[in-house]
Parts: sequence; C-alpha cells; structure tokens
Amino acid sequence: MTPLLSFLNVSKRHLDGAREIVVLDRVSLEIEEGASVGLYGARRSGKSTLLRLAAGIALADSGAVCFDGRDMARMSSGERGRLLRGEIAFIASGDWRSNPGESVVDHVATSLGSEGLTIREARRRALRALDEVGMSASGAEGPTASLSLDERARVMLARALVREPRLLVLDEPALMSGLADRDKFYALLRAAARQQGTTLLLASEHMAGLQGVAVLMSIADGEVQTSGARGSVVPLPRRRAAAERFAQ
Amino acid sequence: MVSSSAEKTKWMRGPSTPLRGALLGLLLERPGHGGDLANRLAARLGETWRVDTNDVYRLLEQLENTGLASSRDEPKRGNHRRTHLVYHPTEQTSEALTLWMETLLPREPVRLGLQAKLSVARPQDAARLLVALRAYERECLMLAQLVSPTDGQARSWAALCMECTRDAVYAQLQTEVDWAARTRKRINEFSEPST
Repeated sequence: MTPLLSFLNVSKRHLDGAREIVVLDRVSLEIEEGASVGLYGARRSGKSTLLRLAAGIALADSGAVCFDGRDMARMSSGERGRLLRGEIAFIASGDWRSNPGESVVDHVATSLGSEGLTIREARRRALRALDEVGMSASGAEGPTASLSLDERARVMLARALVREPRLLVLDEPALMSGLADRDKFYALLRAAARQQGTTLLLASEHMAGLQGVAVLMSIADGEVQTSGARGSVVPLPRRRAAAERFAQ
Repeated sequence: MVSSSAEKTKWMRGPSTPLRGALLGLLLERPGHGGDLANRLAARLGETWRVDTNDVYRLLEQLENTGLASSRDEPKRGNHRRTHLVYHPTEQTSEALTLWMETLLPREPVRLGLQAKLSVARPQDAARLLVALRAYERECLMLAQLVSPTDGQARSWAALCMECTRDAVYAQLQTEVDWAARTRKRINEFSEPST
C-alpha cells in the first residue's frame, strides 16, 4: 500500500549568514493514510522545515517527498498549489490573517473559494465545521477581530477541516492561553481528524501538545528519531565518518 | 575468571550497575583506594547521585569477586608504616568497560546508566554513546506515546490530579529527549573535523 506521505533520503540546508545549517539530513519516513504523527523538537530544530516540505510549500534540496506516491518536486507549482488548497491543509499559528470586519463564518467559508460552490453552500459547510470545533452559531456570526487566542485556533482548525483534506499539517498549534484550552484543542483535533479520516502531522515544542498521536517523532541536529517502526535515522555523513574514526 | 558471553555481562546485573561501570572507568584511568575512588566518583557524577563511600567499598568488592578489579595492600602516601587497600584494573577491565558502553540494559534507570557511561567514556566510546543516546531518545518517545491523552476538562479533584501527573510525565520525558539530543549534538560537533 502506498503511504500517503513519504520522505526518502530528504535533505534540506539553510544559510545562516555564511554558515550552512543542515536542517534535515537524509531523513526517511512514511506516514500511512489515517495515521496521526506528532513531531517534537526545540525551537530552530527543523520542525517547521519538515512540515513545509510535507505540505509542498518548500522543496527538498535532495531526496524525494511524495504525496500519495507523487513526487512533489516533479509537480508544477500550480499542481502543488492545488494540492495545498485541496488535499493538504496547512496551519501555522503565526499565519492568522483575517479581513477587517469579516465574520467568522465568512472567514471559514472563503477557504472553499476554489471549490465552485454557491456562497450559501459554502457558508452552510463553514457553519458545520465551526460547530465541529465547538464554536456556537452566535460566535460564528461574530467578527473575527474579537476572537480570543483559543477561539482563533479553533477557527483555523475549522477553516482547514471544512475542505476535508486528506492530510492536515499543523505547525505549533499550541499557542493557547491556558493548559486546559490547549488540551481541549488537541482533543477536538483528534476527534475531528478521526471522524473525517484525516491524516494528521503536527509539530510542537511541547511534548504534551502531541498527546494522543499514534507515532511520535523527535527532531534535533538534522536527525529524526521515531517511536514507530517506520522511519529511519541516518547520521550526518561527516559525523558518521568522524564516529568511524573514533571507533578505530 | 570472565569467559562466556553470559559471564561477561553477569556483573551488569542489579541496580548499581551504573556505579560499578563508572568505577571500572575510574580504575582504568588510575588505581585508587576506596575513599579516593568514592571521591572521584562523586566529583564525576555530581551531587545528585549521593555517592556513599560504604557503597563504593561494597561495589569494589563485587568487582573484585568477578575478576574485574584486584586489590592489594600498599603503603599510605606520607606514612609508609601504614597500609591501605588499593584497587587496580585487571586484564578484563577494559573489555568489560567497552561491553558496558555498548550494552543497553532494559531494566536499569536508563538516564543514570547513560550519565555514568558519559562520566568515564573514552574517545573510542563516542560511537557507542551515540547509539545509546538515540535508543534512549526513542524509548522516551515511546513512553510519551503511552500516556493517555486528556480532554482538558478535569471535572473532579481526582481528574485534576491525574492531569497534573500526566503533565509531570510529559515534562520529564521532554527534558530527557532534549538532554539526549543536546548530548548527541555536542558529541557530534566535537567529533566533526573542524572546517
């Protein structure tokens, strides 16, 4: 069976001034359809890079990232864009943007813009998605400007779920005001993903934020460790050589 | 005499293996009497270990019984008329230390074992330590995965206490994963050729 998402020897480097930072070094992993995977890592560990590669927002320097067996690097930017508006939903806490005066339900409904729906149908679906994430009908008609952090997170989730994506990628979604809100959000997320059969890939710098996932991974120093059977760890080549020298 | 594979790891049984392993490392660095080894062990492992001198004497005796240390009376420095028991490594000590470095003991408190290994590791043990650190990181991830999720709605005192306990487990495992990753990184950076 083809995994929904696979990384095969994926490497990614960034430049920090003149210094080259190896963010991912030949990372291989597979995520089956319907699975939930949590990625734990400290700040600047490469979590966001891995998620952006998974969502097709960024491309690997080498290796292959495949969605449903299709190599994202071989797709045109238009194809990747369609994927990101359809089968893949990407949420990053820092990405909250709304138009002034926009109501919550319209904010969610606009994410269905490319589906060819009537406004009435898009609003109906948006209200259903908002109900699934625990937003009341009166809250849904209110302006986005008055939302709390917790409510924003739920609206972002509704905006992603309304399109019924096959893969939901969340980058550091735990920016809640309180721990109880955070736990509620994750319980909601798990339930919604389970109900829709959506594959989850979420990252957090708080391990508690990844509770309830089926596979937990950690990322640090270019390496990904995983609690699951799938996925592999390949040490950085230069480091492998150094370790071999040490062993001699 | 240490011979078969089972015999070679027999000394690693029991809760004090990290201390016995660290003592082997210290003996290989230089021989010493019980008090000296206890002081060096305490300095190496830090105050959180609460190294007890009497325990160290007991562990040295165990190591001697398994052929991994040998003792003999030697004159005290500064007072040659008095003697004390000085412990030395044997021909098997180095091999036993290497075996300990690469052995993952399932029932020991892993962090303690790893910390003890780090305290006396030799440069040739770097690759073994990296393997052990990766395995530890994965084990922590697996343990975190086993914690039942909460729905964030503690409606009773018992449920609240359960959530706080769960939070403590996550906090501890997160610290452990961070420590393992940081240690891996430091070993990797040290062993990388300077560019």
